[in-house]
Amino acid sequence: MAFNFNWSPLTADAGFYERARDLLTTALNKSPKPPIIVDDIFVTEFNLGSVPPDLEILEIGDLAEDRFRGIFKMCYSGDAFLTLKTRVQANPLNTYLSAKPGFTSPQPLAAASSLTIPLQITLSEIKLSAFIIVVFSKQKGLTLVFRNDPLESLKVSSTFDSIQFVRDYLQRTIEGKLRDLMMEELPAIIHRLSLQLWCPDQVIKDGEEEKEVEDHAVNPLATPPLDAVDAQGHAVDSIAISELSLDAGSEAKSLYSQQNVNRLTSLTNTQGTSSLLTDTIRDVMFRAWAVPSERPDSSHSPPGATPSLRRSASYSGGSAHTYTFSDSASQDQGHLPSRPSLVSMNSATTAGLSLGSGRHSKAGRKKKTRVVNLRKPSSEPSSSEIGDTASEANSMAPMSEPILEQPEEEASSNANKVRFIGPADVSQEQRRPSIRPEQVKGPEATPGIPSIEINSAPIKSQATPQKQPTSTDSKSEWRRSMPQSDTSSVILEQAWIMKMAGEIARRVYDEKNRNPAFWAERDDSPPPAYEAN
Amino acid sequence: MREFMHYITNAFYGATGWSEDNSYKDLNATSRELIDFPLPRGLRLTLSSLATPHFGTSYQLGSVGVVDGSISYLYSTVPLAAVPAQSDEIPLAALLRSYRRLQELGSRERQWFWSTGEPTVPVPPRTPDNDKSSLLYGRLYLPQSLLEGLVVKRFSSELQVQVSAVSEQSLRNGGTVLGLVQYDKGKYGIEGLASTDGGLLGVRGLYNFGGDAKRNSKSSQKSEAQIAAEKEGIYGRFSAGGELYYGTLNKSGGMSLGMRFATLPTHRGTPLTATVTVNPLMGNINTSYAVMARDYCSLATRMEFNVYSYESDWAVGMELWSDRRPAGFLLGADPTLQLEIESQPVTKIEPRPEPPRPKERSFQAKMEWRLDEPEPEPQPAAESIKSVEGSMAENKKEEYLGVLKARLDQNLRVGLLWEGRAKSLIFSLGMGVDLHRLDEPFRSLGLEVQYSS
Repeated sequence: MAFNFNWSPLTADAGFYERARDLLTTALNKSPKPPIIVDDIFVTEFNLGSVPPDLEILEIGDLAEDRFRGIFKMCYSGDAFLTLKTRVQANPLNTYLSAKPGFTSPQPLAAASSLTIPLQITLSEIKLSAFIIVVFSKQKGLTLVFRNDPLESLKVSSTFDSIQFVRDYLQRTIEGKLRDLMMEELPAIIHRLSLQLWCPDQVIKDGEEEKEVEDHAVNPLATPPLDAVDAQGHAVDSIAISELSLDAGSEAKSLYSQQNVNRLTSLTNTQGTSSLLTDTIRDVMFRAWAVPSERPDSSHSPPGATPSLRRSASYSGGSAHTYTFSDSASQDQGHLPSRPSLVSMNSATTAGLSLGSGRHSKAGRKKKTRVVNLRKPSSEPSSSEIGDTASEANSMAPMSEPILEQPEEEASSNANKVRFIGPADVSQEQRRPSIRPEQVKGPEATPGIPSIEINSAPIKSQATPQKQPTSTDSKSEWRRSMPQSDTSSVILEQAWIMKMAGEIARRVYDEKNRNPAFWAERDDSPPPAYEAN
Repeated sequence: MREFMHYITNAFYGATGWSEDNSYKDLNATSRELIDFPLPRGLRLTLSSLATPHFGTSYQLGSVGVVDGSISYLYSTVPLAAVPAQSDEIPLAALLRSYRRLQELGSRERQWFWSTGEPTVPVPPRTPDNDKSSLLYGRLYLPQSLLEGLVVKRFSSELQVQVSAVSEQSLRNGGTVLGLVQYDKGKYGIEGLASTDGGLLGVRGLYNFGGDAKRNSKSSQKSEAQIAAEKEGIYGRFSAGGELYYGTLNKSGGMSLGMRFATLPTHRGTPLTATVTVNPLMGNINTSYAVMARDYCSLATRMEFNVYSYESDWAVGMELWSDRRPAGFLLGADPTLQLEIESQPVTKIEPRPEPPRPKERSFQAKMEWRLDEPEPEPQPAAESIKSVEGSMAENKKEEYLGVLKARLDQNLRVGLLWEGRAKSLIFSLGMGVDLHRLDEPFRSLGLEVQYSS
């Protein structure tokens, strides 16, 4: 199913392009720039063009008045263009010296004098092709994730086009930066904006009050594909989606106290730093306590699949974060049909935690009501094949990088399979617990009372890879320990593991790409950490 | 303020008779130090000691948000016993003076401190041993685990090799090494360098002409006419040089040409230094002019222009020495100084001895109808004391207690730095002000305290 975009209303707003330029300028200047760029990067021209993107619904996992999740396929090869202006340092000796320790500097007298040249770069002929995962809930705002690298190709023209070397360098650098922007900054921006729009009380106040004024207008811009779904889609679910955005969800806001969310945030951070000092969270109802046994097997959707926007620089691999995010989300999606109650979980892991406890009883009754599978039938056979191999690989050793050479489509295809094929369901179960270290440690633990020893989770996870292969032998054990998988600590664990899996998936995808050199330019330095909420 | 180790290294150069005048990289050192003096940031304490004439240590503790520090050691084969290393004895000019006077070419008896103007301590006799001297220096920064090392080795009176290295984890290949070969022939000086970072190779040289360079070429003896010429008009030396770099790994390079005119110490007028450097590749022209208007006041200006991008820049710098007590409240508590202050009025109140009147004959002499015995000539004791006091006061006036440095550049950024000695501590208090942003003008603030024994 496809969308018919009404592309022009986006541009009808007079202040639209101005705001877009401001947003882009801010995003481009956020990360530290290489020494060759000596000025801020300004967006001088920005035009979305006249050709709308192609958006195709692959799957709608959940649909309700206050929540939505789905996977879209977006293709774009339009006439949009973007012009940037900045200044670059033309003296190679100057940039050479800038990053070197002064003690061994040759200390040139005037040979390193600076010559800055204004540079204008035009990006055009942008070709995008992406799988987009959209998770929306009224309480948690909107999360948009690219499952793969959305940028297919790009034409960079600049003032230095006549110089081959400079042109190649610019092309490479800009592609790398743009990837970072789309995969890391854009989801964060969208999430922040959606929070401002739907749940202003959860927005972290960072002195950006003026943004609140314009958020209604900004949002359609920042999420072009998604907004189209929300507002302009003429599809079956358009009414439902529009309902989502229209009425403001107020009933659920009080469910999560800001204090608890803060505590959970600190708890999550202690996971990253292995700190032993954690806040105790009182009066918390964990999902696993609530209804440990009433769920069928297939309902054990991974709670950790809450797409975690929380990234930290300690993880290796610069763009792995987004993949994490997307991978876990897609997996989550795979389980969606069986358990829609988790659909509304959102960007922050912590949010996912309290979410599960808070709305479980309410959402649980709506189970399995709104599964809409709009996927093309032709894609099924191939995907199920891949799913078989993938699930096997998963059950073997989901943690160890070298073994897990899963194809890029693994997660989604696997997810599809769950719905249709029985055995796959089993493999799915195998897979999920196997990436949960806690069960590896103690399968004898009673399912109903999960331990919430979040502090010890990182240690356990380190022990996991060794124990994995043996533990996969007995399915029954896994099955028994299923409900435990809903414990909060596991959520965090799984987020990390998903990150690893995402990293692997990315590498495989990179190899598959027909132009390896194109991909080799990826910047591997970890980006600055941020918190999306 | 020069760091203690820098000061000791300079002392080493002085002891071994090595002049830095003939290095192209220091062509515009005067204006650079007058304008681009570093401002301290945060709080920094330095404890240094020249424990033996051969061995020096320095410990530094700093705090700019986070606490860091460094430990450094220095070893010299040349005994540096004559160097005043105690912080209450170090000549402030050697540590703080920015204006840099040239030395006489080819004078083997070189000064210890190029910046003091006159040698403060007797230069030890030069022996062949001095020509083979070497210096080792190491510094470890914590907690960054950054290690710096420097080896200076003299092979002859003209040839010197320096190898400096930095080791740090974040650097590519874990560190870099820079080798520098310096050849100073007096009339000209050549340097060759090689760096492991990017395979950078470089050569730079400086050639002197005019002034004493011309005289040295003809005869080493000053003729009367030449001395007369020195006294009238501006007497100085021209130096011209250039540098060339090429990175063998990154296939990039750079070059520049430069020229300097500086007056010599024998010049009776105002000392001045003027430089111009040109980077023909990047189209950059840089001119600077520094003048030592008074002994306590130095001024410098610098102008830059780029013929390709039409970018320009200017900056002015100033240095003002003061003999007043820098922070009165600090020094007021010093009993010795107060004693000195009190002692001066006391001597002034003392009545001048009256002029010797013709003495009356004594009663005994009158009785004996004879004249008095001629008295021995009265000793001008009081006079001599006065003259000594006067010279001491003059000396005290000569010794400055602090210096104020200021700079202003095109972007209306002001840097202010006060440096001086209080008791036996040497302070450096700096502040950066941005006049463009008057709502929050203070960009940086810092205090450095240095103590050495």
